[in-house]
Amino acid sequence: MMGRITRLVAVVIAAAFLVACTSENTNQQNLAKLIGGTLKQGVDSQRAGRQPKVVVTPKMLSETTVAALQVNPEIAGGSDFLRRVASRSDSLPGQVEIWKSSDNALIFLRNGVVVGTRGVGADIISADAALTVRALKNRAPASGLREYIVSDGDVTTTRMRFRCTINAVGNEKITVVNQTFDAIHMRETCIGGAVGDLRIENDYWVQANTGLVRKSRQWVGPVSGYFELVLLKS
Amino acid sequence: MIRRAVDRIIQLTVLGAMITLPAALSAQDVDAVFRTPDRPSLNFYGTPGLMDMPSGEALPDGQFVVGVSNFGGQTRTTVTFQALPRVSASFRYSGVKGLDIDGRDTYRDRSFDVRFLLNRESRYLPAVTLGLQDFAGTGIFAGEFVAATKSFTTTGLPGNIRATVGLGWGRLGSSGSIGSPFGSARPSYDVSSTGGDLSTDQWFRGPAAPFAGLEWQINDKWGLKAEYSSDAYVVEQDDGVFTRDSRFNFGAEYQVSDAIRIGGYYMYGSEIGVNLQMQLNPKRPLSVLRFPAPRPYDIRPARRDNPQAYSGDWAASQTGASNAVRDALIPLLAAEGLVLVETKTSASTTEVRYSNERYMATAVSVGRVARAMARVLPASVETFRIVPVVDNLAQSAIVLRRSDLEALEVHPNATDALLAVAGIDSVAPTLPGGARNEELFPVFNWSLAPFLEQSYFDPNEPVRVDGGVRLNMSYRPAPGWTVAGELRHRLFGNVADSDRESNSVLPRVRTNSVLYAQASDTTLRNLYVNRQWKPAPDVYARMTAGYLERMFGGVSAELLWKPVASRLALGVEANYVKQRDFNQAFGFQDYSVATGHASAYYEFDNGFVGQLDVGRYLAGDVGATVTLEREFNNGWKVGGFFTLTDVSADDFGEGSFDKGITLSIPINWFVGRPDRRTVGTTIRPIQRDGGARLNVPARLYDQVRDGHRNALVGNWSGVWE
Repeated sequence: MMGRITRLVAVVIAAAFLVACTSENTNQQNLAKLIGGTLKQGVDSQRAGRQPKVVVTPKMLSETTVAALQVNPEIAGGSDFLRRVASRSDSLPGQVEIWKSSDNALIFLRNGVVVGTRGVGADIISADAALTVRALKNRAPASGLREYIVSDGDVTTTRMRFRCTINAVGNEKITVVNQTFDAIHMRETCIGGAVGDLRIENDYWVQANTGLVRKSRQWVGPVSGYFELVLLKS
Repeated sequence: MIRRAVDRIIQLTVLGAMITLPAALSAQDVDAVFRTPDRPSLNFYGTPGLMDMPSGEALPDGQFVVGVSNFGGQTRTTVTFQALPRVSASFRYSGVKGLDIDGRDTYRDRSFDVRFLLNRESRYLPAVTLGLQDFAGTGIFAGEFVAATKSFTTTGLPGNIRATVGLGWGRLGSSGSIGSPFGSARPSYDVSSTGGDLSTDQWFRGPAAPFAGLEWQINDKWGLKAEYSSDAYVVEQDDGVFTRDSRFNFGAEYQVSDAIRIGGYYMYGSEIGVNLQMQLNPKRPLSVLRFPAPRPYDIRPARRDNPQAYSGDWAASQTGASNAVRDALIPLLAAEGLVLVETKTSASTTEVRYSNERYMATAVSVGRVARAMARVLPASVETFRIVPVVDNLAQSAIVLRRSDLEALEVHPNATDALLAVAGIDSVAPTLPGGARNEELFPVFNWSLAPFLEQSYFDPNEPVRVDGGVRLNMSYRPAPGWTVAGELRHRLFGNVADSDRESNSVLPRVRTNSVLYAQASDTTLRNLYVNRQWKPAPDVYARMTAGYLERMFGGVSAELLWKPVASRLALGVEANYVKQRDFNQAFGFQDYSVATGHASAYYEFDNGFVGQLDVGRYLAGDVGATVTLEREFNNGWKVGGFFTLTDVSADDFGEGSFDKGITLSIPINWFVGRPDRRTVGTTIRPIQRDGGARLNVPARLYDQVRDGHRNALVGNWSGVWE
């Protein structure tokens, strides 16, 4: 029995070493290699540990000539700097800005509130943010329903409904690189999700004089967890 | 295209799956572990339960599990699929070492189970399941049961306790019987039967015995089990397979990852047992599919700001405009893994026909084409007609208004809102006056790749494997025409070592597979000419001639009617084929047959697809095949089929009739990158000559359907991804 298993394992390993070649580069990869690759990435990322956040220096900021958004994903670690590639107005409250990362992922922000992601994986396909946008604009408490359409990671989606409450935590001074702003800290607490047991908490720091969401920590889906978003330059 | 026919199903062995799956599973995101803590653990039969006894629980809907257990010389490998929220089916291959029934030292058996959840667990009532174990076939594991399971949490103990009580018949009623409530006449196990019949005359007959058990899930990782078994192991005791000293079994289980659970047990007071349980849910991909983000839609300037931009003068010459659009789109689509086939434009409407070589979900390619169109087309074009084409078969026209795309990209309900205003229409076979991509033909493709080929369930060697290299070549001189072939060279393997000679009384159309394996290491797997086209908007046609498959060559013709939005499709196929020489070179044997079928396909709710084929099979027998498959929107397919023909059970031989299970998994589900290929396999408990169908490359139904309404709607969010 043992000999048979060893033989079969050897067969499979041998097959994995036979490299497939083809006249087309795009569409022909060896499954064993693909799965091996996935495994390797998983192991590598575990070994590498989380990347630290990048600390932006005043010099870096002063050299930036375009709008810039720093994103610090909590689960994945590290930082990225996004530039604004489009902005849209529609009949709904707030204006949508589309921000693009260095690895070509997109984040949609409606007045600073995440309403979509692309290329992140298990993306938020769409979200309604009217409640939050209004509360942040008025800097006043509000409660009501929010809805996210979240990708399951396989081109199907789950509709997640949340009951949310937004409250002011207090006035705080926030520092973005070398600038300090007076901001009001608003916290949005939502309970719901696909089966109703998911609790998410979004924090927003709204700049007192401009009403801009200068800094936030927002939920971007069940797989990606929370992103910290810092508006470096608007 | 031919590559799709050849590569779409890469044969992955059950063995391969077992070796590669755990590796892939262990690479899962740590944060994703225990996303379904409520799913039950499995017993030694690979179904929800304790150790040898079943419980009243059901798996989560769609759950696909593999269980491998061993104790007292008995190894059971089971695949269970929760086909409906309340119905599950299992297929099991077992070996009992030391059980001398057929003159071999290990007795091997294939069996099917089915379970029905009668009551879902509620606050006061337990989950109740009725099960038929080994309900068809030779029936050595035959047993029926009703089991009830209730879960509790107590303040004194951490975790969760599940208590099970049940009543079993047959094997599950063989120890500690309390009488025969539904009659005592249970036919005994008959080794000489060909099996395959539903054993209705024995269900719930004979002595019934109670069984019970407790499962204590202490925390996320550890669980303990204890049970009182009602299985006396009568046959096994007679042959001394193991000694049953006790009715009690005990065990501990450890959850290694979300998918894998392992257990160690002390069985029947004498034996050590192990159980490996793997649970997957097709709805939960192993790796999250990451697409490169699409470019945000290019928005046109407002008409009042720039009225000239909306002038249609640019399209004064339709040919010139179409050619310009074609030249602009080719590189943009190529960057997305898409190939422009043809385009035609007027000042207000542009149709783009393209083929998709990257995305499993056609909807994703539709969104990418729309973005490319928005980028290059002048503002006067308001209507986008996007037509996915699979090797000369235009599947459907997805008609989108440009202003809808512009308005909805960041809309809170983007997916449903766009679907509500999108048209998914049938499409003409050709595009007269269109600008063709002249670079497409002729095209020659080749690939050299390893292959593994398996042969299952030989009693002497349950899994036999051949491996080697294969060379695939295809030449496409013009749209819809393909010349393709596959040459194989075996480097190692043991399929040819089998000594199982055919004992079939029918024409040996399939049972000579060992002779085919023995004849040559280098074989011409297939070599054929295929032409496919659309005679009408909803009708698809195919003609194929040559060495169609390993054992047969000849001619094949198929016609399929499948309207874009219809759940029903109808098809006919006619073939005249001759049996190929065993060495799989160019020669033929004497046997020839006219075979063909009339087919009806129907897309039921919940993703079930049914297929009925009525016609004449390879051995000249006449009958019908029923296939039922559950398709998940992400491309997973799990199904089963059976064929009944005018061949009697005796003439058919072991198994009585042809049946099997099919499994197909998209590769992107494993690897998280766009990929159109799938891995899959068809497992038959036994391959005989009755009810055997010709394997024709490039049958139409599956080629056409992924661009039709049902598939597009199932992945519609992909338009935005």
